[in-house]
Amino acid sequence: MKMKKVAYPYILWMAIFIVIPLFLILYFAFTTGDSQNFATFQFSLDNFKRFFTPTYLKVLGRSVNLAFISTIICLILGYPLAYIISKAEPRKRNMMVLMLVIPMWMNFLLRTYAWLTLLGRNGFINFVITKIGFKPLELIYNDKAVLLGMVYNFLPFMVLPIYTVLIKIEKSLIEAAEDLGANKIEVFSKVVLPLSMPGIITGITMVFIPAVSTFVISALLGGNKYNLIGNLVEQQFRWTGDWHFGSSMSIILMIFILITMALTSKFDKEKEGGGGGLW
Amino acid sequence: MVSRGLKRLYTFLIFLFLYAPIIVLIVFSFNNSKSRGVWAGFTFKWYIELFKDAEILKALYYTLLVAVLSALISTVLGTFAAIGIYNMPGLSKKITLNLNYLPVLNPDIVTAVSLMALFRFFKMEFGLATMLLSHIVFCTPYVILSVLPKLKQMNKHLAEAAMDLGATPFYALRKVIIPEIMPGIITGCLMAFTLSIDDFVISFFNTGNNVSNLSIEIFSMSRRGINPVINALSTLMFVSLIILLLIINKRTEKNEIERGV
Amino acid sequence: MHTIELKNISKEYNGVTVLNDINLYIQENEFLTLLGPSGCGKTTTLRIIGGFEEPTKGTVLFEEKDITDIPPYKRQINTVFQKYALFPHLDVYDNIAFGLKIKKLPKSEIDSKVKEMLRLVNLQGFEKRSIDSLSGGQQQRIAIARALVNEPKVLLLDEPLGALDLKLRKDMQIELKNMQKRVGITFIYVTHDQEEALTMSDTIVVMDKGRIQQIGTPVDIYNEPKNAFVAEFIGESNIIDGIMHEDYLVEFSGQNFKCVDKGFRKGENIEVVIRPEDIEIVSVANGQLNGIVKSVTFKGVHYEMIIESKDFEWMIHSTIMKEVGTEIGMTVLPENIHIMKKVRAE
Repeated sequence: MKMKKVAYPYILWMAIFIVIPLFLILYFAFTTGDSQNFATFQFSLDNFKRFFTPTYLKVLGRSVNLAFISTIICLILGYPLAYIISKAEPRKRNMMVLMLVIPMWMNFLLRTYAWLTLLGRNGFINFVITKIGFKPLELIYNDKAVLLGMVYNFLPFMVLPIYTVLIKIEKSLIEAAEDLGANKIEVFSKVVLPLSMPGIITGITMVFIPAVSTFVISALLGGNKYNLIGNLVEQQFRWTGDWHFGSSMSIILMIFILITMALTSKFDKEKEGGGGGLW
Repeated sequence: MVSRGLKRLYTFLIFLFLYAPIIVLIVFSFNNSKSRGVWAGFTFKWYIELFKDAEILKALYYTLLVAVLSALISTVLGTFAAIGIYNMPGLSKKITLNLNYLPVLNPDIVTAVSLMALFRFFKMEFGLATMLLSHIVFCTPYVILSVLPKLKQMNKHLAEAAMDLGATPFYALRKVIIPEIMPGIITGCLMAFTLSIDDFVISFFNTGNNVSNLSIEIFSMSRRGINPVINALSTLMFVSLIILLLIINKRTEKNEIERGV
Repeated sequence: MHTIELKNISKEYNGVTVLNDINLYIQENEFLTLLGPSGCGKTTTLRIIGGFEEPTKGTVLFEEKDITDIPPYKRQINTVFQKYALFPHLDVYDNIAFGLKIKKLPKSEIDSKVKEMLRLVNLQGFEKRSIDSLSGGQQQRIAIARALVNEPKVLLLDEPLGALDLKLRKDMQIELKNMQKRVGITFIYVTHDQEEALTMSDTIVVMDKGRIQQIGTPVDIYNEPKNAFVAEFIGESNIIDGIMHEDYLVEFSGQNFKCVDKGFRKGENIEVVIRPEDIEIVSVANGQLNGIVKSVTFKGVHYEMIIESKDFEWMIHSTIMKEVGTEIGMTVLPENIHIMKKVRAE
């Protein structure tokens, strides 16, 4: 059957809109010149040399650090929730899954921005704190606020894949473990947790990748002083106009993500084929 | 019993955390003051002003226009692509799928700047066209990913049976395969629509010429203070989505009862 | 002493009765089969014994102790699950060792026990294999090994051969029976396959609609079905209405027949069961009943023929073949006529 031909338009599409753009970024990253004029481009490693100086490495370090912590928090908060949902009766279960998805229908910038109302100097939380008789806290424009924004935005991405794996675990496997003498804790640690590993891995990548590359959350909740690598890329492309330097940082970001995925896929041998293999 | 109470409390707290900002947004869309944090009485004035605010209405128009167009185009493109990919032999299937995964796995910002570089390279003017194209680029992979599982579930011999009965491949595609994978196509289309409507990063880098969507509008407002009109608009959009959802839910429930499930 | 005793067990799901007053004794070293069509309650009975379901009413005794509220992991009973339920994240060795590791046995002891079990199920050298690299039959053996290694007093098997093809199923039936003799413990076996039940069991419990229909040895169940359901379910039967005139004399199809049953009321309406292989073909003159051959199907060892007599269609299994359309005579020996009380028509 010649059905495969119907994919040819999309293959052409991918070549133009996925492959060429990445080569362009690569090209920009290894050249310098006037970003607006391709004729002036010259091969150079200056962009990378510039990045590997303390100023920029510090930014990278902070980005990775914040993304890592927020991923851990999402996992700690999200796993129990996924577990509780998976154990609920079907009606309640579907309801709760829906309730996880519904917030995403409200513009995420607005939702993140709304935290300012809650956390700000005159915000709701400080209002409560001062009413009780304490001094108002500095809750925004710092690392903690950025972390909160990350956890808030990405928590559902941790819960959903873990939940999906958990409900697929056959009941008979849990019964088999009980049959063989495992109590509730042993059933969890020896059967449920190892079997939910693929969901955890997916969750980690789905939280870590957007967290490490975000520039919106830091721009909204971190104030201007809290630069992450995403903010640097944004500045180079939107304001400074040094696309070469911006591209080199994009490449570094991608390499970082490739490393993360290689690390996580090591723990995830069972992952069904179909994609992700080459990356 | 204690553990059940604990579970409920935990679930409640997490959902409170997820919904707190949304409640704040909705409440403050009725606040009779421009400043956030201070409650100055109940009002509908932001809802009235919404319909006078040309800037925001224009952003809403572009948001919806791009969302509808990109959802439709990426659904058609993605559905055919999925059918083709499904019928490809091993290695080329693997390569195609991996390329398709790139916009899903890549950080938004990298996809955004790489497209920006592409449009500059082709000397395209930034505006509606570039924004629409970039939305199709990142929506189509999701359509493919939601259609492919349906193809895998489908009986492999369905299309062959149709052709055995005299159908041309195109007829088999139209009358047998597409109806069979319809649920996946619809899911993909809705996904593309919501992704597009909520997108900020890709649009932010790939627009120009005074074309902006709601996200971009909100982002630029966030520096000078959010206009409560936006709260009113978001509340309206949110509520209408919930109502739509309830209607769909009622309908499927009714269908299930009629079918005796 | 009974190893397991079920007393007045009933089970309801959302108001629907699945088990209705089950009473059952299971002896030591017995191979007992719960047999019945799907939905008859056999699996639920097994799951109640295993501890995966709680009965709505009644008690489960294990060696005369009440274990109704004991969770599965504290019972000296192990299960071979339908579709095996082997742990996909563990290899063969770790699957078999699972229960032993939970008991925290020393490593060397676990090693030797796992080795011994692999020898028992004929899969030496499979320790490091992953579960999905095994064939259905091999997975089956690992599931048995995983349960038996814990040295349970009772092994529960829930349709363990259902997923295997015919040839393999036959081989495994014999192997399972031998295994049970060798390890010398009680097997409780659930199946819907009557042939399997007849081949393997010491005792068969026939169930339908949540009730026990008959308990007996395979020979009893086959030869003396208690009611029409059992007769229909165990092999093929001719079931015809009749009247019991007196002890040892029954009338059906308008004829009087000698039989070996007694104890019915005079003139009681009863049902008569005759196995197709118990009807002999004779000449028309010698036949107790006469009929015309309607159809003939070759079944390998015998022919299956449908004979139309004046008020009934008889099924006969015979090695002699008669052409369609011929008139034949039929006789039945008195001991092959089984009389059953009439169950009131539903």
